[in-house]
Amino acid sequence: MSELKPTNKKAELLLKSAAEGQVDEVVAMDSVAGCATTFDPGWEVDAFGGVASLCQPMEADLYGCSDPCWWPAQVPDTLNTYPNWTDGKPSAQNDWRELDAVFPKK
Amino acid sequence: MRMTTRGLLAVALVAVTTAFAIAPPARAGDLLLTAAKPDRLYVIDTATRSVRSEFRIPNAGAHITTIVPSPDGKVAYVLVNRMESISGINLKTGREVFRADLSVPGERVKDFCAFTITPDGKELIVYELPTKLLPNEYRVEEPRFAVFRTNAGLKAKSIRAYSAPRRLHLMLMRPSGKSFYAIGVDLYEYDVASGKLLNTRGIQKWDLVAHSQPDLLAFWPVTEPTGVFTSPVISDATAGGITAMKTGLMSLDVVSGALDFADFEDTSALIFSTVLAPDRKFAYGVYSTLTKIDIEHHSLAQRVPLDHTFYSVNIATDGHEIYMGGAMCDVAFYDPQTLQKRANLKLPGCGDQSLASLRVIPAR
Repeated sequence: MSELKPTNKKAELLLKSAAEGQVDEVVAMDSVAGCATTFDPGWEVDAFGGVASLCQPMEADLYGCSDPCWWPAQVPDTLNTYPNWTDGKPSAQNDWRELDAVFPKK
Repeated sequence: MRMTTRGLLAVALVAVTTAFAIAPPARAGDLLLTAAKPDRLYVIDTATRSVRSEFRIPNAGAHITTIVPSPDGKVAYVLVNRMESISGINLKTGREVFRADLSVPGERVKDFCAFTITPDGKELIVYELPTKLLPNEYRVEEPRFAVFRTNAGLKAKSIRAYSAPRRLHLMLMRPSGKSFYAIGVDLYEYDVASGKLLNTRGIQKWDLVAHSQPDLLAFWPVTEPTGVFTSPVISDATAGGITAMKTGLMSLDVVSGALDFADFEDTSALIFSTVLAPDRKFAYGVYSTLTKIDIEHHSLAQRVPLDHTFYSVNIATDGHEIYMGGAMCDVAFYDPQTLQKRANLKLPGCGDQSLASLRVIPAR
């Protein structure tokens, strides 16, 4: 853990809790209250640090990631925050040009 | 306003099916269930590899995940509406015959993919993750199992509830109907009637020697046709001073309760789901390849590339054909011996199946 540097508040809290032996209180809150149910490394990197083992094509995996809010920083989450993101766009393969970028509400 | 459920169209002859020369003759077959955005439930005749029925699920919210067929194969219970509702669709008429909307004013309730049905078809047990929506904060409540009667109609309310662990993603009923398994961080078994935790076995806390904490993606509640749930499981294994990432197979027999983990290859090409063949000699897994796993020798038997990534895999009750779905709008039919493609069915409208389960209802 000492080799990792926290980059946001949750990570800082995790580091502090690890030192206090209370990690479970931080990482076990996957109630989908906000979003993520996982802490996988990221949308664009596979388990080997490359891209060869990602889903092919990426459109095959797009709604499978937005629906369960899997990569909330990279893919709009349709579970809570952007529920209408895919409205009228049932096929990521065919409709990807119509999918808009999203911006957090102030 | 809730739309009236109705069967849209019997499209058996309209569906675009590409049959290859190597395709065997049609035989009386199973039915295959899948779903696609925004709100469609499909019944596929595996004998003709065509869509028998296409139904619209009311208020699906363009979000369909877990499908659990009733034990008699007459109703499909489907998790919809951004994991906040379970809709029961009659598979002959397409009518919605059951609806449980989990959220109530002031409390948002999600079910992260996990629910199951008792063997008599009378009760659904649903994993609920409630969050109080307070004026200035979201307050996370304790998770619970909520039980619904399947004859409760379109405004079903839970008749009992009991506490549940966090981080569950899958529930599997045992054939006795007395208990069910819940899979998440670890493997839990609960008493159906009392909600009492009967036992806990390690997944994250497994006791495999020289293995790191494992990772698995257990979303797809497939135990057909063997009564054995399987899933790829990935961990770092150390042997001879060398540590390598290994992919193994988790097997949980819901009949006997036997739980097994066995590595079969260095991690390379399998993440999502697997299914055990009825002869129990091989399992098949999907990702961007189709993988055949030798169960007896714990080894990779064969692997072929797929046209694109598939999430979910299943197999005919008699084992003569592999089915693949999820992700995009294709349902693929493959030969379990050669892993050659026999046919590909594009769902009407080509909506993405995303995380929808691919379930087999045996021919009756």
